[in-house]
Amino acid sequence: MRYDQARWTHDADAESDDDRYEPLLAEKNTEEVAVDSPLPDDLTREDLELPALSEPQLARHYTRLSQMNYGVDSGPYPLGSCTMKYNPKFTEDVAALGDAAVHHDRSDESLQGTLGLMAGLQDYLARIGGMDAVSLQPPAGAAGEFTGILVAKAFHEQNGEGEQRDEIIVPDSAHGTNFASAALAGYDVVELPSGEDGRVDLEALEAAAGDRTALFMLTNPNTLGLFERDIEEIADIVHDAGGLLYYDGANLNALLGRARPGDMGFDIMHYNVHKTFATPHGGGGPGAGPVGVTDELAEFLPAPRVREREASGDDARYERFEPEHTIGKVHGFEGNWLVLVKTYAYIARLGDEGLDDASAKAVLNANYLASQIDYDVPFEPFHHEFVASAGDQDAADVAKRMLDYGVHPPTTKWPEIVSEALMTEPTEIESKETLDQLADAFDAVAGEDDETLEAAPERTTARRIDQTDAARNLRLSWQAIDEE
Amino acid sequence: MSFDVPDDRNYLESHEWVDHGDATATVGITDFAQDELGDVVFVELPDEGDDVTAGEEFGVVESIKAVSDLYSPVSGTVVGINDALHDQPELVNEDPFGEGWMLEVEVDEESDDLLSADEYRDQIE
Amino acid sequence: MSGRNERGTPYASHTDAETEAMLSAVGVEGVDDLFDIPASVAFDGEFGIESRSEREAERHVRGLLARNDDLTEFLGRGHYEHYVPSLVDHISQRSEFLTSYTQYQPEVTQGFLQALFEYQSMLVELTGLEIVNASMYDHATALAEAALLAARVRSTDGDRVLVPDYLLESRRDVLESYTDGAGLSVETFDTDDGNVDVDALADAIDSDAVMVYAENPTALGTVEERLDAVGDLAADHDAMFCLGSDPVALSVLEEPASVGADVVVGDAAALGLPTAYGMGLGLFACREEFVRQVPGRLVGASEDESGRRSYTLTLQTREQHIRRERATSNICTNQAWVALRTAIHAASLGPGGLVDLANDCVRLAADLAGRLDEVEGVRAPVHDRHHFREFVARTDRPAAAVADDLEAEGFGVHAVDDHRVQVCITDANEHAADRLVAAFEEVA
Repeated sequence: MRYDQARWTHDADAESDDDRYEPLLAEKNTEEVAVDSPLPDDLTREDLELPALSEPQLARHYTRLSQMNYGVDSGPYPLGSCTMKYNPKFTEDVAALGDAAVHHDRSDESLQGTLGLMAGLQDYLARIGGMDAVSLQPPAGAAGEFTGILVAKAFHEQNGEGEQRDEIIVPDSAHGTNFASAALAGYDVVELPSGEDGRVDLEALEAAAGDRTALFMLTNPNTLGLFERDIEEIADIVHDAGGLLYYDGANLNALLGRARPGDMGFDIMHYNVHKTFATPHGGGGPGAGPVGVTDELAEFLPAPRVREREASGDDARYERFEPEHTIGKVHGFEGNWLVLVKTYAYIARLGDEGLDDASAKAVLNANYLASQIDYDVPFEPFHHEFVASAGDQDAADVAKRMLDYGVHPPTTKWPEIVSEALMTEPTEIESKETLDQLADAFDAVAGEDDETLEAAPERTTARRIDQTDAARNLRLSWQAIDEE
Repeated sequence: MSFDVPDDRNYLESHEWVDHGDATATVGITDFAQDELGDVVFVELPDEGDDVTAGEEFGVVESIKAVSDLYSPVSGTVVGINDALHDQPELVNEDPFGEGWMLEVEVDEESDDLLSADEYRDQIE
Repeated sequence: MSGRNERGTPYASHTDAETEAMLSAVGVEGVDDLFDIPASVAFDGEFGIESRSEREAERHVRGLLARNDDLTEFLGRGHYEHYVPSLVDHISQRSEFLTSYTQYQPEVTQGFLQALFEYQSMLVELTGLEIVNASMYDHATALAEAALLAARVRSTDGDRVLVPDYLLESRRDVLESYTDGAGLSVETFDTDDGNVDVDALADAIDSDAVMVYAENPTALGTVEERLDAVGDLAADHDAMFCLGSDPVALSVLEEPASVGADVVVGDAAALGLPTAYGMGLGLFACREEFVRQVPGRLVGASEDESGRRSYTLTLQTREQHIRRERATSNICTNQAWVALRTAIHAASLGPGGLVDLANDCVRLAADLAGRLDEVEGVRAPVHDRHHFREFVARTDRPAAAVADDLEAEGFGVHAVDDHRVQVCITDANEHAADRLVAAFEEVA
């Protein structure tokens, strides 16, 4: 397969000294208008200068930009840990329904559709995670982590151990957000070195867990794709020390229908619905990071939650309520509602059979792809993702070169336990043919010399971009470019 | 690959060097360290007049993909900082033992863990 | 029965023959052999969730949502609706945008990066501040991040975050959730008729204050009249001045930088999204000197091998995936797609359209308040100030009863306390203003 990404180019001209791809809106046309307002002059600005273009000009501008962007619908996107699956189109349609465009501050009575869907999604997620209660409020995975940590904090405070339990244990291979969320909540982070097999080292955990442990945060399967087989012992160690166990839901796509965090002994978890439940990643977001907890912790969840009104009979009615010892709020309203609608629609479409099969095929695809590539995969048996090593090659250069073969590269250089890591997650959506193409891309690059890799990419819109220049000479707006 | 390790300096395991002058000492990071970091894009240093403590952090050096703490080989008062690094952090890459220097310190005490050039060479080989 | 899921997920691409071929290439009999899960924690797959065809799933969700009452909303208080041009939906739904992720490979994602760069630039113009990030979650979390920024950059060890008493309780709750870990204490100062009471603030502020917060327009809809005095007080005490606003209001109101604001936060989805149950876009802008302490992603310009200007995420060493527990924020997934929509919406309006829209928000609120003031049993506006989009009205009858009765008539307004309602009017609902006034006449 041959790939050439669209590339609109413009040479330096009267508007700019730079050779560019599509010019900036401001380089096309701007207008300065005097602000004449019913407000007194001393409360208003004098003028406003912004791009002024017609709708056809804008349609063309943004269409060209979209052509210079790569998404899941463009081609394979095996970005490890990000679960870049296909985003079903009908979920966009239901999120765009007029009935979904509601304000938060209406009465419960007038919001029965929204509250009913939220109650339904809380229920779906609780079943899938093996949890007892769910909050839909956190607007992203990291916000879910932070929420879960606050729940753990509230629990320990209620037990009179709030001050004493000031540490959160995080494996060295964990997502960076785990460390950052723990620090945000005011905890000291205790980094747990992985064992030689890439899993949690039980002895190290025993040594780390104690009176000061508030929480142990764990991803399962971990970032190497390995299932933590000792999960029950891990749970015992943490619980015996008086701590709680947190499940980072980033890798839940490996387990749907096969295992549930709640059954493994986790007390708190978040779901990354933009990963596991196929809501679009939108160039970086929005996602949503609902949090599930055991019964014992439900009273601490953010407010409000949704529940079925008591004795509502056949015609179920729903209401918002404040959990008794709520941690408060983590979002000004209740998170990314439109994303939650898409999540609900996806789960309602797949059901038991679809969810179970999604994980089965995600794991099959990862294993098949790994079996077809020349790069070494040091840790097995992996599930929905694997971490290959680029060996003597620079993984970042490998990634750039893969772009020339029309595929998005894996996540690179992480986790660090594998040298020159290529963390690869093809997801369930790819066919054998596409996986073979992907494998061909890996193998073609594996056989190329450093010079070729360093010259890549050639067929993308932009050639290799100078990161050092971007950081040393910050230009974060068109105004900054103009000042140069 | 061989790295420059001037004999007239002392080193810390964490890759800082110290050059003992008459009244003050100069501090920077080694050729090996700059190479490991890659293109340096930012150096955060203390202000003149601040105190630094041997073995403790005195600043941060950033490249595109990594951030490293800087540890002081000496205790004392900062009497000079290399202002040029603010606009030209690349000096750390280009001339780590010269124009890429970071601090000038009026020394009260030296770290007990200073390495000789030979000892440091052994460490990075 | 076609379309149901007996064959599993409809969003995989495997034929049975391919599945078999893949299994045999891997060297296992069946998929189950690939799972390394101890039996003691294995699950049988029975969630009890029905599988549906697309048609059934669509109908099911549509049916659920249809249970929302059809209200004409005159609601605001932090979540606003303006008419969203059709172009915004059509362009933002282009799947090259929608189905991409964070631009870790900038060479192949120039389009989204440029759109975010343009978003940043337009907000730089509107705020007068040099740095705008490529998004936080919403107004409340952006405010919280501003307080954490203030605590990091301020030279002394103070721990007080001063907020006006018009701050929405929900935003205060988020602010407290986020700042508790840093040991900050959120303290309220009095306001005077819907504006910061500068004397009260002067009494409250001291050298322990890390940040002073105000809004323009406020959550009550009032326009602040003495922001320069607030800015001066903050500067005199080396406290950061954080101002809450939104891109529509910023099109006509005083430029935040000109009144001394160090940080501007707000919900930028006032442009770009319809009402969405509070889903938003956290605007975060600040002065250049704080650039290395900014939370969230930043898009910068650079150059590629061919010498053309290109865009890339920059200063990533601030972020959690590199700096972990010392990152400037834990944020990873953000609201980038909403920022794309906001940028398209702002560009569609252009400067003239934005100023017109903002002026409408001033006129419509004043007109509606004036008309409601003539209704017996209603006094509007309560605050003797200029208003933007919304205002508080006093009702002789209990506000909750008035709001309930209005809802029965098909209108949504806020009951904010015993005898006060809040009403929000924009281009999206002004067509129903006459009917709202008539309904007030019925129920007030």
